[in-house]
Amino acid sequence: MEQIFVLTLNGLATGMLIFLIAAGLSLIFGLMDVLNFSHGALSMWGAYVGLWIYTGLDQFWLQKLSGFNTSPWYPMVNILDFFVGILGGMLVGALLGWLVEKYMIRPVYGNHVQQILITMGVMLVLSEAIKLFWGSNLIAAPVPLMLDGSWQIGSLVVIKYRLTIIIIGLIVLGALYWLMQKTKIGLYVRAGVQNKEMVQTLGINVRKVFTLVFILGTSLAALGGMLMGPFMNQVYPSMGIEKQLLAFIVVVIGGMGSIFGSAVAGMIVGISEAFMLYFIPDAALAVNVLLMAFVLLIKPSGLFGERG
Amino acid sequence: MQILKNRGVFIALLLVGLLLPLFTDSQPVLLLFTRIFILAIFAMSYDILLGYTGIISFGHVMYFGIGAYSISLLLKHGGESWVNVLLAALIAVILSAIVSLIVGILSLRLKNTYYAMITLAFAELFHIVSLKWRSLTYGEDGFNFSSQIPDFLKDRFYFYYISFIALLLVGYFLYQFTKSPTGKVLVAIRENEARAEMLGFSTLYYKLISSTVAGVVASLSGILYAISYRYVGSASVFGMDKTIDALLMTIIGGVGTLFGAIIGAGIINLAHQFLADLANFHPIFERWLIFFGILYILIVMFFPSGILGTFNKYKYKFQSRKVERDKSHANSS
Amino acid sequence: MNSLLKLNEVNTHINQFHILQGVSLEIPIHQVTVLLGRNGAGKTTTLRTIMGLTPASKGQVLWQEKDITALPTYKIAQLGIGFVPEDQGIFPLLTVAENIKIAIQDENDKQTQENLEWILNIFPDLKIAWKRPAGHLSGGQKQMLSIARAFINNNTLLLIDEPSKGLAPIMVHALIEAIQEIKSKTTILLVEQNFYMASRVGETFYILDDGKTVYQGNIKELVENENLKRKHLGIYKKTV
Repeated sequence: MEQIFVLTLNGLATGMLIFLIAAGLSLIFGLMDVLNFSHGALSMWGAYVGLWIYTGLDQFWLQKLSGFNTSPWYPMVNILDFFVGILGGMLVGALLGWLVEKYMIRPVYGNHVQQILITMGVMLVLSEAIKLFWGSNLIAAPVPLMLDGSWQIGSLVVIKYRLTIIIIGLIVLGALYWLMQKTKIGLYVRAGVQNKEMVQTLGINVRKVFTLVFILGTSLAALGGMLMGPFMNQVYPSMGIEKQLLAFIVVVIGGMGSIFGSAVAGMIVGISEAFMLYFIPDAALAVNVLLMAFVLLIKPSGLFGERG
Repeated sequence: MQILKNRGVFIALLLVGLLLPLFTDSQPVLLLFTRIFILAIFAMSYDILLGYTGIISFGHVMYFGIGAYSISLLLKHGGESWVNVLLAALIAVILSAIVSLIVGILSLRLKNTYYAMITLAFAELFHIVSLKWRSLTYGEDGFNFSSQIPDFLKDRFYFYYISFIALLLVGYFLYQFTKSPTGKVLVAIRENEARAEMLGFSTLYYKLISSTVAGVVASLSGILYAISYRYVGSASVFGMDKTIDALLMTIIGGVGTLFGAIIGAGIINLAHQFLADLANFHPIFERWLIFFGILYILIVMFFPSGILGTFNKYKYKFQSRKVERDKSHANSS
Repeated sequence: MNSLLKLNEVNTHINQFHILQGVSLEIPIHQVTVLLGRNGAGKTTTLRTIMGLTPASKGQVLWQEKDITALPTYKIAQLGIGFVPEDQGIFPLLTVAENIKIAIQDENDKQTQENLEWILNIFPDLKIAWKRPAGHLSGGQKQMLSIARAFINNNTLLLIDEPSKGLAPIMVHALIEAIQEIKSKTTILLVEQNFYMASRVGETFYILDDGKTVYQGNIKELVENENLKRKHLGIYKKTV
């Protein structure tokens, strides 16, 4: 029982992280027909830059104030550094997303093959550039002190950082739901997924909506990447492409262009991965790929997708 | 006619390929060219998908790996014999045909972008299996099977010609394939899938043929690749970078030109070697993929037809200008 | 005659195909102008070219004397041109309310609110289905929704592409009545194959053939010109 609880919690946390990466991918694909192959690499940039800011600030205070590491204020400053890191990572994700959309994807607008091929090239360049700046080895990613450790509730152990991820994921999901359902821009996006041309004939600059969605998607991916570091206690350059594969699977299972679908599929994939890693670790990815194949067989457009 | 159009290029390649071993007996040089030929086969098979059908695969390496593992496992466990070599080829062909059909049926019914994602997922699946099934594959470390390879295939000189002939045969076969009625339908699908469908072609059927042909040919190149290294390891034959290599070779050589892939393979592999040497001078050259990434983006953006494609375009222009000039000469005189 | 929109020898290519090869027309204000012609004559492409969806490669589209040929679609729409495409172009997963809401450029605009109320009185079905997904509507209701959506924004010109297509005769009658009411408030360019409907609502008529305007006139001239009707519209006089 306890084990099942721990695994479920772990799976939900993993699922949330994948959801953060997949949400943007799914929206970008649904709205623009662009399979953004650089999504994982952008997410890694978020992770590296965020971690760099977080640990950099942390070191800065520790060096500046001697004996600070024993001060009762230190954990608070530490977690503040962490959130500043998150913001920085997301900003970089947004900035890179804007650049990629503007200079890479827009010039070949309308040619899907070219767009995919270009994002592939962007992936290559961005992930090699990470190695250029931070080397190709693992970098330790410490959990913020205040979120380290766990709570004991009865016989159940709740690891704080995992719960944090789940809460942040839920907040993002709620915010996205609000954005999609209650705002005009969300209405444009939902309509655009169904019929781009018609949206333009209603006087809406659909290109601008594309850019916004792209930036939103890449900054969420950066958030996912940044949160993933401490979750796995490390970051490494190929992490992006690994998680991107899971995000692809999630997008296919959940259905293109559906945020809700990505969230549900993210949870399914996260939980199945957590349980498989515990019981049959070697078959974890296989189960997710088979799950995807199964969904493709019975409902090719994905669980919540309307278009194939 | 593609072959005649590029006659100069073609004859030059043929001469270089045939005569090279007469000028050098340096084993590394022979080996480098052997691998260029092998990877050119791989890249040509990729061009069938990307250049002639207009679908992108991000998991093409899985067929390559299927070929490489079937030859190495059969020889390793079955011992040195020609029967095993042929059997491996048979298994590789059948297995890759089955896999490409399964993957194709799952994904090609949908938008072509699905194919990219789903091939990637399946390739990763093969990668993981080869990594985890240690008792059979020795996982990450891989295994050497050099003592089980028939001597004839081990001779670098002979193997050079075997690879070269394989390249010519596969090139000829794929060329005929692209010129066949099926190949014409594939190009029609690439240009406008909806229209091909409206003309009454089952585009799924044709896309399946294309992906199966590409998969089978890729598995053959995987067999040759494993023999040339006398070693197989999960990262080297199932790693995603092989797919990226195929993509780079095809794009740089020229999408939809078939023989451009040979030029692309030559450039990528020579540059690979060259930049690896340069890495001794400055560590930035260790990140040689950055240069290729940038080059690749520029090519996709500004010369989407690649080296051979661009060359052909200018040649056409030049020729048509010449024809016009001749005409006006004829008129004035 | 005061013309709202003018097409000047417009040529349009789609891929390698030369679809419009010189379309010229003038749309007088507060009238219904009808585009007639056989399938493939270029009627839909004419509307799409006006909207900037398939921009003209030669010639001009003038909106109140201003050249709008090269404007992007959304800017053309913002000038006050509403578009009702052949397939209605509704968003099936959005509710009827959302389908309307997305078109509204200024929610606080009083005129828009009045338009909305007015049009919903003409199409009461939409009010009943207000909260339902638009994909569940019948073909006729989708047509109403599409017209209502194009109308509410104080649009000064509506481009309507074959609204009667696929509708039951009774629906066609309802549609004719609706268009007759709407035309009191706006200008309409109507593409129609249904000659009965066209003759009931139209004032000025253009006939397209092979991507060119071949005829311009009013309803009386058109009805009397048997030769023209036979050649371009496939209408034969009944021999009694």
